[in-house]
Amino acid sequence: MSERKLLCEIVSPEEVVYSGEVSMVVAPAADGEIGFLPLHTPLVTTLDIGILRVKSSQNRWEYIAVHGGYLEVREDRVTVLADSAELASRIDVAQASEAKERAETRIEESRGKREDFYEAEKALRWALARLRAARGVETTADRRPPTAAM
Amino acid sequence: MAKTREIKRRIKGVESTKKITKTMEMVAAAKIKKAQARIEAARPYALKMMDVLFSVAQFVPESGHPLLVVREPVERAVIIPMTSNRGLCGAANTNVLRKAEALYRKEEAAGLTVSFITVGNKGTGQLRYAGYPIERSYTELSDQPTFAEAREIAKELIDGYTDGRVDKIYLVFNHFRSLIDQKPVEHLLLPIQQEVIGEERPGVRADYIFEPSAEVVLNRLLPTYIETLVYRAMMESAASEHSARRMAMKAATDNATDMIDNLTRSYNRARQAQITQEIAEVVAGADAL
Repeated sequence: MSERKLLCEIVSPEEVVYSGEVSMVVAPAADGEIGFLPLHTPLVTTLDIGILRVKSSQNRWEYIAVHGGYLEVREDRVTVLADSAELASRIDVAQASEAKERAETRIEESRGKREDFYEAEKALRWALARLRAARGVETTADRRPPTAAM
Repeated sequence: MAKTREIKRRIKGVESTKKITKTMEMVAAAKIKKAQARIEAARPYALKMMDVLFSVAQFVPESGHPLLVVREPVERAVIIPMTSNRGLCGAANTNVLRKAEALYRKEEAAGLTVSFITVGNKGTGQLRYAGYPIERSYTELSDQPTFAEAREIAKELIDGYTDGRVDKIYLVFNHFRSLIDQKPVEHLLLPIQQEVIGEERPGVRADYIFEPSAEVVLNRLLPTYIETLVYRAMMESAASEHSARRMAMKAATDNATDMIDNLTRSYNRARQAQITQEIAEVVAGADAL
């Protein structure tokens, strides 16, 4: 393996969530997952709600739940500007499952009301992303099908 | 007799006031530390965001995004003074409001319809009392602003701007320069100034890939930029409030100490005078016998 590494920094408006040298980053981009290795071409993408994972030095995956935002790659630096982000180890599972249930009831109640439904759906996806990140599950099975451009 | 008792009572009163101001001073000092830490913690995001915004903007030279367009003619302006919810913080709020009112008069003189959207109880109360038009007020926010709160405010501002209800939005808040130096500043929030997007920089135009496209990324980044600015203003304003309160309470505590010194001196003098008089009376009484 080459010596090249990516410097990955994940920041939310309120704090720096993750910062470290990694060999690979897989991010939930708006149009599907994108993986980044060193020497990647410069790129900027918007992010979806989902799980971002990084392969840290001991070849271990670390999971971070991210809630929208942007990702920029440039000169082996991956910068993630998330609206909100949580390290898997910091996620409060009980609180996330509660949030999930709340979101589910809200979805039930919001039938017919588009705006509410959209909000509730976002909350549900965020809760699920956090739960899965906490468990270290890689799949993004609950991703909604790609929607038409907004 | 009566006089010494009176002075003693006052000393007690001032002492209990001093206890309160001292406590408030310490609480404010602790809150400044937290507020400063939050400003520090938010800096990486703001800096990186600007960085990304800058590189994206290179690829969308004539974006025509509504937040970037300078309108002609400008008819309506909104000024957002950020004040605290609670008082006892020196001139912090007064300074902001004075600046906001000056800006109001300036814009009004330029022929614009101006109104306020206030953040914080103090500004809301004072401007309403002075009879200024207030479109909306946010008074339920805490003195430890969160990004969610900033986002909510920013969203309404952006909506108002894109709907064409406003052509120009100013923020007026206390800029937190240091623990002892806070200055009210005005900042043109919308439209976004061209400097932010930057001049075209040749050479930066590397082979960038944009997902889904440079326009989409830019269109989403611009509101985020506004949110970050509002958040920052809120945090600076909170940090300034705590600093100003600490200074004010420190001054109050010092004054209370001086006052207690003076009162103690008066008390001793009165006590001595009383003793002297008693002796004189005893001596006079003995003489009379």
